Amino acid sequence: MKHSIARWALGAALLAPAAQVLADPPPLPPYQMRAPAPAGNRLSPGRDGKALFENHCGYCHLAAGMGTNLLVKQRLAAGAGPATALLANRDDLTAAYVHAVVRMGKGAMPPQTRVDATDSELDSVAAYLGRGK
Amino acid sequence: MKLVLPPRVGPKAFDAALTAFAGVVGKEWVMAGDADRDAYSDIYAPGPADQWPASAAVAPGSVEEVQAIVRLANQHTIPLWPVSRGKNLGYGTAAPRMAGSVVLDLGRMNRIIDIDARLATCVLEPGVSFFDLYEAVQREKLPLWLSVPGNAWGSVLGNAFEHGIGYTPYGLHARNLCGFEVVLPDGDLVRTGMGAMSGNHAWHLHPMSFGPTFDLAFTQSSLGVVTRAGLWMQPAPAASLELVFDIPNEDDIGWVIDTIAPLKIAGTIDQNVFVPSWLGKMVLKGQRHDFWDKPGAIPEWRVKELLAQYKLGYWQVALRLYGEEPVIRAKADVVRAAMARHLSAPPAEHWWHAGDPMNAMDTTMGVPSAAPLQMSDWVGGRGAHMGFSPVVPATAEHVMGQLKRSRAIIAAHDVDFYASFTIGGRFATNINMLMYDRDKPDQVANMKRLFSALIGETAKAGYGEYRTHLGWMDTVMDTYDFNNHALRRLNEKIKDALDPNGILAPGKQGVWPSAMRDQAKAGRV
Repeated sequence: MKHSIARWALGAALLAPAAQVLADPPPLPPYQMRAPAPAGNRLSPGRDGKALFENHCGYCHLAAGMGTNLLVKQRLAAGAGPATALLANRDDLTAAYVHAVVRMGKGAMPPQTRVDATDSELDSVAAYLGRGK
Repeated sequence: MKLVLPPRVGPKAFDAALTAFAGVVGKEWVMAGDADRDAYSDIYAPGPADQWPASAAVAPGSVEEVQAIVRLANQHTIPLWPVSRGKNLGYGTAAPRMAGSVVLDLGRMNRIIDIDARLATCVLEPGVSFFDLYEAVQREKLPLWLSVPGNAWGSVLGNAFEHGIGYTPYGLHARNLCGFEVVLPDGDLVRTGMGAMSGNHAWHLHPMSFGPTFDLAFTQSSLGVVTRAGLWMQPAPAASLELVFDIPNEDDIGWVIDTIAPLKIAGTIDQNVFVPSWLGKMVLKGQRHDFWDKPGAIPEWRVKELLAQYKLGYWQVALRLYGEEPVIRAKADVVRAAMARHLSAPPAEHWWHAGDPMNAMDTTMGVPSAAPLQMSDWVGGRGAHMGFSPVVPATAEHVMGQLKRSRAIIAAHDVDFYASFTIGGRFATNINMLMYDRDKPDQVANMKRLFSALIGETAKAGYGEYRTHLGWMDTVMDTYDFNNHALRRLNEKIKDALDPNGILAPGKQGVWPSAMRDQAKAGRV
């Protein structure tokens, strides 16, 4: 699944260099199911960061999501590979950066409330996305 | 976000109220920090978000907690602004109409209480998102489809409560609601429809009450907090066929409406047919500055060049038929023949059969996605947008009149034109998407003038909006002026009877309880 998503992101990216115009968008991948919310109290630390990321951030940050699509353009403009538009593929994120973006917003991304993601959930997600550091 | 307290509530009293709320939900679910207030503000606000500031938010986890919070709100005279998931993007997000209101965030109440595949219904709490429901159906492999809006990040029920629309046969979302459970402004709990009888089996099946039917009185409403509702779903069809027609010219929208609306009314077409103008396709190809690098609206000659270059029609009709394949084939013959009377080019045709994959963004097949929001990146910046959304009769003369009128007003304000007509049967919903950069004060000021002009001129011509942003709720309610605003006066009488302290969503849709009516001028654009 991950391979096909990366290939899709690459396909979209080849057609979407920044400051140039897209040809017809490539065929879209199928809907990607999010992981179910992991069991347990939403206020307790230590729940599965990957599952929480998919469940709470997957609305926009899985394949063909709004956030992924916008990030393809930003990543290319930054000289990075398009597959890094998927946050799970990033190795340069830090937990602190994830905290800041989630709570303060970035570009078209609104700040997320503590009902969207509790502080404990955000800690787990930030640790998962920041694992490359 | 600066802290604005509710009217006539001092800091000490406010603190006491929040402490009382925390006693019900736990202190973690009372959110009153600076970052919390920012997160509940209108990210796409036309101008500074602090025109509609929440003082805090509280998130109950059960019906009993909602009741307790509502009772405490009365004791402490704290206004509550209920949101289902708070993703009403373009209309105010989670932000309250009245400054200082406490957002009652129902996002934690996200149980899918029941899905009945035989009768194609489900029962939901307000925190259930379109993604949640879609995935629950997929996991159980149930033969049911959703109807989703352009932004499916939000709540299934919340979207229906705000009269949102989708692009399937179940696209008039409020019509799919059946049987509510509601916490009234005094904390009492009522069930509507057949649910008024304890243990009744037809609560979410028969859409009317014994006596007056109140369900829709709790939509776009400040009369109660809906804690669960039934929703009718589309049985999964065996097959589907998409017919895509590119419609070359602006004025062709007249015959398009006169061709499709009768087929929809007669039931040959059962979908809500979405007809977007060309910019709907261009937003997927790049940003505005890729096509036109000057500040004003893209001029006509450049639009013509772009349509030729990218082989786009001025409008596109991507019409979808659903059901058994032989029935679809027969319907498609009727649709093709009707369209061929005006258009020589045949449609592009795409078949789908049960078991075939669906792509991640097919709103006409009920697949939830937030990606259509990408259009908000057209002008860049923070992706601000507002929808001007009048409803018109689905005939050529009304649609053309509306098109020409809004087109001229939008052009006079030097703004790009991006409109769609969604044919719902006897009416069409005309959404004019206005995209702007929130961080450019000139653009914001121009957008506000434009929005007010659109409301005023459209009402003079005899049409009203179905939904609007916080800043224009009063303005739009003012346009419903029959018999000295009799509808508003009725709303106010009911509001005052049910909510004498005015604690529930004061100002929602321009309805002000007497207890808070002195606040009505603020926050009005």
